[in-house]
Amino acid sequence: MSVTAFLTDSTLCIGCKACEVACKEWNGIEGDGLDWSGFSYDNTGAVGASTWRHVKFVERAPVPGLGGNAGEQASWTFSSDVCKHCEQAGCLEACPTGSIVRTEFGGVFIQPDVCNGCGYCVTACPFGVVARNEQDGRAFKCTFCYDRQKVGLRPACAKACPTESIQFGEIDELREKARLRLEELHRRGMDDAAFYDPTHTSVRGTHAMFIIRGDPRTYNLPPSPQVPTIYLKKGWRSSALAAGLLLGGTLLALLTDGRSGR
Amino acid sequence: MSDPVPLGDLVPGLERERRLAEIRREAERRGKLDVVGGRPPGAPFPQATPETGYYKIPLLKEPPWKWEIPLYFFVGGAAGAAAVVGAIADYTGVDRKLVKHARWIAAAGSVISPVLLVADLGRPARFLAMLRVFKPQSPMSMGVWTLVGFSSGAAAAAFAGFLSDRYGPSLPLRWLENAGQAASLAFGLPFSNYTGVLIGATAIPVWNRNVGDLPLHFAASGLAAAVGMLELMGHGKNRALQALGLGAGIFESWEGLRIEGRSDPHLDPLKHGASGWTTRTGGVLSGPVPTILRLLSALGGKRRSASLRRWAAWSAIAGSLITRFAWIRAGHASARDWKLPLEIRSE
Amino acid sequence: MPGLGTSFGRGGATTAQQDLSNADAILIMGSSMAENHPVGFQWVMEAREKGAKVIHVDPRYTRTSAMADIWLPLRAGTDILFLGALVNYVLENNREFREYVVHYTNASAILREDFRDTEDLDGLFSGWDAPKNKYSPESWLYQGAPSKETGGEKAGHSDVGGGHGKDRGGEAQDASQFESDPTLEHPRCVFQVLKRHFSRYTPEMVERYCGVPEDVFLKAADAFSSASGPERTAAICYAVGWTQHSKGVQIIRTASILQLLLGNIGRPGGGILALRGHASIQGSTDIPTLYDILPGYLPMPLFESDSHQLEDYIKKHSTRTGLWSKFDHYFVSLMKAYYGDGAAKDNDWGFHWLPRITGDHSHFGYWLDMADGKLEGLFVMGQNPAVGASNGRLERKALAKLKWLVVRDMVETETASFWYASPEVERGELSPETIGTEVFLFPAAGTAEKAGTFTNTQRLLQHREKAVDPPGDARSEAWFMYHLGRRIKEKAKNDARSRNAGLRALTWNYSVEGLHTEPKVDEILEEINGYTLPGRVQLTKIKELRNDGSTACGAWIYCGVFPEPGHNRANERNPRDLLGHGWGFSWPNDCRIIYNRASARPDGQPWSERKKLVWWDEEKKEWTGLDNPDYEKNVAPDEPANIHSGTGIKALGGAKPFILHPDGVGWIYVASGLKDGPLPAHYEPLESLFHNPLYRQQTNPGAQKKERPDNPYAESPGDPRFPYVLTTYRLTEHHTAGGMTRTLSHLAELQPELFTEISPELAAELGLTHGDWATITTPRGLVEARVMVTPRMRPVRIDGRVLHQVGLPYHWGYRGQVTGDIVNDLLAISEEPNVRIMETKALVCNLVPGRRARGSAARQQLDAQLGRTA
Ligand SMILES: Nc1nc2c(c(=O)[nH]1)N[C@H]1C(S)=C(S)[C@@H](COP(=O)(O)OP(=O)(O)OC[C@H]3O[C@@H](n4cnc5c(=O)[nH]c(N)nc54)[C@H](O)[C@@H]3O)O[C@H]1N2
Ligand SMILES: Nc1nc2c(c(=O)[nH]1)N[C@H]1C(S)=C(S)[C@@H](COP(=O)(O)OP(=O)(O)OC[C@H]3O[C@@H](n4cnc5c(=O)[nH]c(N)nc54)[C@H](O)[C@@H]3O)O[C@H]1N2
Ligand code: SF4
Ligand code: SF4
Ligand code: SF4
Ligand code: SF4
Ligand code: SF4
Ligand SMILES: [Mo]
Repeated sequence: MSVTAFLTDSTLCIGCKACEVACKEWNGIEGDGLDWSGFSYDNTGAVGASTWRHVKFVERAPVPGLGGNAGEQASWTFSSDVCKHCEQAGCLEACPTGSIVRTEFGGVFIQPDVCNGCGYCVTACPFGVVARNEQDGRAFKCTFCYDRQKVGLRPACAKACPTESIQFGEIDELREKARLRLEELHRRGMDDAAFYDPTHTSVRGTHAMFIIRGDPRTYNLPPSPQVPTIYLKKGWRSSALAAGLLLGGTLLALLTDGRSGR
Repeated sequence: MSDPVPLGDLVPGLERERRLAEIRREAERRGKLDVVGGRPPGAPFPQATPETGYYKIPLLKEPPWKWEIPLYFFVGGAAGAAAVVGAIADYTGVDRKLVKHARWIAAAGSVISPVLLVADLGRPARFLAMLRVFKPQSPMSMGVWTLVGFSSGAAAAAFAGFLSDRYGPSLPLRWLENAGQAASLAFGLPFSNYTGVLIGATAIPVWNRNVGDLPLHFAASGLAAAVGMLELMGHGKNRALQALGLGAGIFESWEGLRIEGRSDPHLDPLKHGASGWTTRTGGVLSGPVPTILRLLSALGGKRRSASLRRWAAWSAIAGSLITRFAWIRAGHASARDWKLPLEIRSE
Repeated sequence: MPGLGTSFGRGGATTAQQDLSNADAILIMGSSMAENHPVGFQWVMEAREKGAKVIHVDPRYTRTSAMADIWLPLRAGTDILFLGALVNYVLENNREFREYVVHYTNASAILREDFRDTEDLDGLFSGWDAPKNKYSPESWLYQGAPSKETGGEKAGHSDVGGGHGKDRGGEAQDASQFESDPTLEHPRCVFQVLKRHFSRYTPEMVERYCGVPEDVFLKAADAFSSASGPERTAAICYAVGWTQHSKGVQIIRTASILQLLLGNIGRPGGGILALRGHASIQGSTDIPTLYDILPGYLPMPLFESDSHQLEDYIKKHSTRTGLWSKFDHYFVSLMKAYYGDGAAKDNDWGFHWLPRITGDHSHFGYWLDMADGKLEGLFVMGQNPAVGASNGRLERKALAKLKWLVVRDMVETETASFWYASPEVERGELSPETIGTEVFLFPAAGTAEKAGTFTNTQRLLQHREKAVDPPGDARSEAWFMYHLGRRIKEKAKNDARSRNAGLRALTWNYSVEGLHTEPKVDEILEEINGYTLPGRVQLTKIKELRNDGSTACGAWIYCGVFPEPGHNRANERNPRDLLGHGWGFSWPNDCRIIYNRASARPDGQPWSERKKLVWWDEEKKEWTGLDNPDYEKNVAPDEPANIHSGTGIKALGGAKPFILHPDGVGWIYVASGLKDGPLPAHYEPLESLFHNPLYRQQTNPGAQKKERPDNPYAESPGDPRFPYVLTTYRLTEHHTAGGMTRTLSHLAELQPELFTEISPELAAELGLTHGDWATITTPRGLVEARVMVTPRMRPVRIDGRVLHQVGLPYHWGYRGQVTGDIVNDLLAISEEPNVRIMETKALVCNLVPGRRARGSAARQQLDAQLGRTA
């Protein structure tokens, strides 16, 4: 069983949203509401409890050199977003019920029968991915198509993608592929092509990696996401100090003057 | 109708394209344009850029918690601190009544807390899922186990105390009472403040930025509330409580000053908007108001002193409650901030 | 698709989508391929990744433009000017593929002396018959061809009927006889005429009237033409951004000329890919749902000229040389499939039972009749004209004049609910109480609920299984038609009137299966493929068809799809190569790239190693290669041609790839078969803001405006009330009239509301902010839409003046999870002369801030608006 990953290459994405719809179809997820956002052609906004794949439409004042293919074409870029399946996953670390597990494929999976809807994972995800379902309160996000992978199928979104913008495969191979692709893009004059896989932060890399154009922030990708467990040490130290002070203070107060109130 | 747009700038061709982009950018930014022959486009259209992020759509999801959780924070804080006060009061052999009242507060908290959690989860059975695992890296898991320990201890102590009061002391009851009290002390200490770690160790900027302060802050707030409750239960003249209340009040005042004094944008939700005002209200009621009232009560006559302390107690309790709501609201506001998680500086 | 049909011989895409990945340059124009053919677009992406230049020409910057190397924004409706300039660029710079042009096209043919070009007659060709409002195309013929005077009835054109029946170039027998000059120097040879014809189509004109800057145009022209030649090939993709114009066929013709000049037809990575719309829209012209052709592009007989003798009909439509020399084989086999034993030599194979065309019975033709109360009942199956057809108000009001209406659909469409939910009801123009139309809504089985075959954009037949039984009363089309036919036949059995003779003779004996007594679709396909009679041995190739009644075949071009019982080639699922052999069946004869003889030099060897496809195997003495040869397998390249006296395909010799044409070559110049000229010329859209910069003739002379009080037009050119150009189009997220997408939450949520795309500059002029409401008006109606201000729309400078273009996707209606105004209420009914399609891509409009009125106030607003235009 190999450790798998996604490499979503936005330079190949045509914004057809087939991935978004395929995911909903396969997983039987509800629609997300029928509001017009006005944000380019993106009316679903972000990944969430009822959208596990989400295609972003990066519309900007045309920037020469940011076009789909050529060094001189104005840009409108698309990128399909998904749970990052972090190497060090905030949601998984935080989950108090053990509902969130790492699968044999390296993905981060919420067991829907275990999740109790505490919502803690929601606050623990540095990518704003997982969310609680309005109806029953449980948390949902991309399953990495665990059910499909189990039986040797590609995730539905990757399968639906017509242009292989979503590539699925063995993680190390994909990282190597990404490296070569980046070299190629740079050679073609797309100097701003970049690889997004935050290995340098406490997240320690993801199983959903991206090739993007320009600044990751344009795609709502945080430059340096951190897994919240890094705050634990400081927090518990402060908690211990607080306990100590509470204990000491109370002792002191009551020892010196316990009876005065009588 | 105004002049025709100079089309040379509007059709592609690398140089023209670049220039068009510049013109549009500038118009976007300043709402006006000085380039010769240029004219600002009327309606800015939403854009995705390194400066605006993805249409300013927040990256993070808001915490899904509603009123149950901040109330739980408050109840747990007060109960935990009360258990500590009760146990120490017992060990130091003080007033039995104080011990008993403190235990009641702890016991009440130990019952209300799980109820609030269940209310948040929606179904009692869901609470049991929490007990599937013991997970040190999850503050919520640790918190739940603390709650379980604390609730059992506090309830046992109160129950045994109640029985021995009613039917006379007996050895097993004594043991139960002692064991319960020891547990409620041991668990009460973290129980009073672990919620600070709970929200501190998250992706929400305003919380994780304050992770080093939150447990202390919540402990002080919990203590102040516990003290206030005891005072209102007839321990209004207890000097130890007065001292503890004063200590908590001073700490809270310092906490308020710390927040106000720093210009870190991460702290904005604590200072601006609805969450800012809630924080300030909670802070004033927790810090300066009870502190000053307590100091004044030391000066005045007996009657006035008692009433001032009652006011201080009320203020501290209210402050403690509002503070927890304030932090949760600040968390929401912080999650809605599209800039910080993307490390975009405010202008 | 007479644009392709007259140029090359067949009305179908010349290549397969997979083959696009072999291209060195791809011009996408008149389509937003990434949005509307996303799956096929993967091959464009693959070509791009291999280094091909992708060029997109579109008034809007679309998802396709975003993937392109070069995007050229153009004023809607100026495609011929743009493409003509490309042709001119190729000729001026000697970029043509000379050898290909000389051998494989009619560039060398010499025209008659009395032919006059648009250059001579200011926008008209010789033969314009002003009183009759049509061309008499006699003078377009070649020098040396028998003329009307000498050739009798044969030359010329039919009066009624669309152009579908003329896909092969009409009564083109005479086109095989002409004088020619292989040096291409003769002043009246096609090549020289072409040069003169397009000489004023210059980059300056493109900049000035298309709005495409000269430097960008030149860059694109160079990129495209330098990707052509022996070593390289370039492809063109188009869809309805070209076809839905009052001169759509001629736009495609211009592209065909370009590809013939560059030698890009029949070669890998070349070709013209007509991107067709619905899943089996190619199938529905092959085995037509059209009124003017029979299966396999056999013309439907006309009331007057074809009524009498089968002999005349066959003579008129067959050619002496080329594949159409076997016209009678195809026709007789079809009759045998229809009538079985009832079709015999002594009753002209049942020819007299066929209906005759008496007039314009295209969609708009009969709809206008309906509006005038001349139609009693209507079947609407798999269509939603209340939303999808131009002049929606007229279309819907016409429905109210019917006695009965049958709608078969999977949802209750706007068409089925017009009588209580249409804007006309809201405005008080119609009311359910007074509408006499009885509406029957039949639930239709969806695609997964029935088995059968699609023919897609690349002529590929693919069979699909039934996944589940349809729910409730829902039934397949096959079920409906079969049982309807059965019942009608039942009635006819006891009705001895002679008009029922054909119905009684019709074979209608498919076996049925399953719970719902569905006809067996395999049996139908077996019949379409054809078999011998009386033995019923399946045919394996077109050559086996006979004209003596010993074969039956439902559509000659599909012959070979079902070569033996149980062997449905459309159901093959094992692709062996890039072109997909082994997956489905591509007509004709499973050729994936047609006219592929042109991929080899006249001597039979590939033009280059890199671009080889089909070649002559000297040892085996046959054509071989990477595709099935679209040619006589054993005719050697050096087989001499005998066009002037030979018969059949053999007469074309071994070096003429376009075997459906009587002369075996691709037609740069179409002497016969089109109603609006042998060469394309730029005309302005029917509604335009500008004078035709090239000729005094403003619009396509053959186009019909169908102007009437309920189908009014803006003044043209330059109606001051409608200062913007309007174009309509699709979004990936929805499908056409929306019945299949606005009803599904997963799709509805992706584009929940009608919006109009305008540039920041226009928004500034009108004081509109992104997200505001605006009302768009034309002489026909008004719709409201949310304003999407985007730099992807940009003004173009035309003739010194700034022109704003307004974009409107057309998917919304009044039913479904998301609703919105019907954009087609803005459009006029109009007819292109050859295929009678409407103009949806280039109109004029006004745009005013704010929403439209509701309820009965909407009526007043509309009246005021229409009154203003009257
Ligand atoms: N997702 C999706 N796919 C579809 C469909 C659908 O509704 N949704 N419909 C199917 C059907 S039925 C069809 S026919 C095809 C149609 O496929 P397309 O032809 O690609 O469809 P459109 O979007 O109508 O028009 C294409 C482009 O033409 C541009 N255009 C407008 N005016 C002009 C002009 O004057 N010149 C040029 N060169 N371009 C112009 C428009 O801006 C638009 O981008 O798509 C099929 N595929
Ligand atoms: N303004 C403007 N107007 C246009 C165009 C444009 O570009 N601009 N494009 C034109 C073009 S190219 C086209 S093709 C038309 C399309 O216009 P229409 O053909 O009128 O619209 P559709 O929505 O495709 O209608 C198909 C219907 O068939 C139903 N259906 C699907 N499958 C089945 C089935 O198996 N059986 C039955 N019985 N029904 C089924 C669907 O639910 C749907 O309601 O619109 C045309 N109109
Ligand atoms: S992106 Fe968020 S939800 Fe996904 S694995 Fe990482 S932390 Fe968990
Ligand atoms: S909501 Fe569910 S998945 Fe998330 S932390 Fe709680 S139990 Fe775990
Ligand atoms: S992997 Fe599966 S669950 Fe995740 S986004 Fe793709 S289709 Fe959806
Ligand atoms: S399916 Fe592929 S091409 Fe389409 S939007 Fe998703 S990632 Fe992009
Ligand atoms: S809907 Fe069907 S025909 Fe259209 S792109 Fe998708 S797969 Fe192709
Ligand atoms: Mo279509």
